Amino acid sequence: MSKVSSVNKELIESLNNEYISALNDFNMDNWLACFSQQGQYILTAEENIRRNLPVAFMLDDCYARLKDRVKQVMEIQYDSSEHYQMRHFTQLISATESENGVIETKFNFSVYYTPRDTHQTETLCVGKYEDSIVIEKGEALFQKRVAIVDTNVLPRYVVYPV
Amino acid sequence: MSTKNNSTPSLDWPAKTNHVPKEVFEMEGLWEEELKNIFYGEEWHPIVHRAEIPNPGDYKAAQLGEINVFAVHGDDGEIRIFQNTCTHRGTSLVTESSGNKKELECPYHRWLFNLEGDLVGCPGDREFSPDFDKKDYGLLSLRVEAFYGLYFATMSDKTPPLKEYFGESFYEPLQRLLGGDGRLNLIGYQKVMYDCNWKAYCDNDGYHGALLHKAFAMLNWQGGQGTQIVTKNGHLCFDSELTMPDHVEALEDGSILDFKGTETSNGSIVLMSFPITVYTKHMDMLNIRYSFPKGPKGVEVHYAYFSHQDDDDEMVRHRIRQSSNLLGPCGLISMEDASVFSRIDKGNRTQGDAIFQKGVKDEYDIPLEVGQTDETGNLARWERYRELMGFERRAK
Repeated sequence: MSKVSSVNKELIESLNNEYISALNDFNMDNWLACFSQQGQYILTAEENIRRNLPVAFMLDDCYARLKDRVKQVMEIQYDSSEHYQMRHFTQLISATESENGVIETKFNFSVYYTPRDTHQTETLCVGKYEDSIVIEKGEALFQKRVAIVDTNVLPRYVVYPV
Repeated sequence: MSTKNNSTPSLDWPAKTNHVPKEVFEMEGLWEEELKNIFYGEEWHPIVHRAEIPNPGDYKAAQLGEINVFAVHGDDGEIRIFQNTCTHRGTSLVTESSGNKKELECPYHRWLFNLEGDLVGCPGDREFSPDFDKKDYGLLSLRVEAFYGLYFATMSDKTPPLKEYFGESFYEPLQRLLGGDGRLNLIGYQKVMYDCNWKAYCDNDGYHGALLHKAFAMLNWQGGQGTQIVTKNGHLCFDSELTMPDHVEALEDGSILDFKGTETSNGSIVLMSFPITVYTKHMDMLNIRYSFPKGPKGVEVHYAYFSHQDDDDEMVRHRIRQSSNLLGPCGLISMEDASVFSRIDKGNRTQGDAIFQKGVKDEYDIPLEVGQTDETGNLARWERYRELMGFERRAK
């Protein structure tokens, strides 16, 4: 494991910014575009990780599942959801590169949400991302993004990935 | 709304059994009466499955009404449920939602209890009151009965034995839902707070299924045979066949919906025990929803998911994928329920009654024979609630 180059660090930061912009702009196609063809996304609770329990809130363990996540949000459940504005704040904690070129990163995050009826902002969850990132054709993509929430009891049902 | 005896709320309950006054959800003063008459009354409440605390010393914290309790696996292999309080000055003994302890020590004055709840040490006891006897200071235990590894607690000595309380129409499918023999492994939790009164949370019905949940229609996933059985004391059982499509065109990864099938189900079992607990076995997901009302507003739901001890690795992985993506607060076939709970809560802060129609044959009857897609299965529960709360029904 070695430190990442400044060029790759810039690509990582850029990927993370694209990711949170996609979610905060309700653009699920852009969210999907952040993942490689081998991409995975998992949203789970710190309690499950700590106790080695594999069930998650969302477990998209292949690219087909990621595409189905987009369909679930944008089509299947679109009209029955009470939609809310998300706002992500992230902080890069560590980034290391392994010999096979995969970059492992950790970000802390806090995510606020503002419902469209009350318009009062509250905390949705706080936690950390643990990522595996690959560089393909000069672009960083998530091979895996695991969002682990300290907020073991979510304050509401969750419509979108975090 | 009016009040009787200056403090107990009273409700003008409609004569028609398919009408429920909207006031009943969050009316001031009601929660305290619900605690007394229902949660601390003659009901059984599921607290823990043995699979959640499989080893001696494992414990799990929970609530019964507003009382903090914890279940602990004793050195003798027994699981007991105690009120979470030191018998000296009342300090909480367990401060985390789960964990493992060799013994239970109160940090305040170092009173020490074993896992069976006996007081085994208390510093300075030579200077205690003359009649002090450690035997009188064991932890406050709750009356417990187990059913295939699922431990229920009740606050009342008068509650009928568990099987009698549920009746065969409820406990037989519950046994199947618990894998047939209760030999389960815990595979994880999803915990969430729903923004609604507890009675709105458990008022889901047989009518909404294919209408609210678009996934059912998109997946061509309906039309199986099924039954809905209601008990007079308000428990409810849906036992339904799932006719799965050969190919799921609506999804890129249709394997998420595979029903690998065990002999314990035709595809779908949904149980609702009075007053608030839901248990489901949809396809290969084994799920208990421990539910904790937070006063009149808000209910915290802990979805616990299980695999069976005889599962091979592929089956466990399949159960994990389904459990993580289909049910719970983000699930493909359940997230809409949470949305409706919230909307019902807001919508019921208006005048009038909430009305049930689908399946009503007589507006003054409480039906116990109910069609699979009827909403009248909920009326026995509302009737039981009304009786326990002492609300008089208006004359016909």
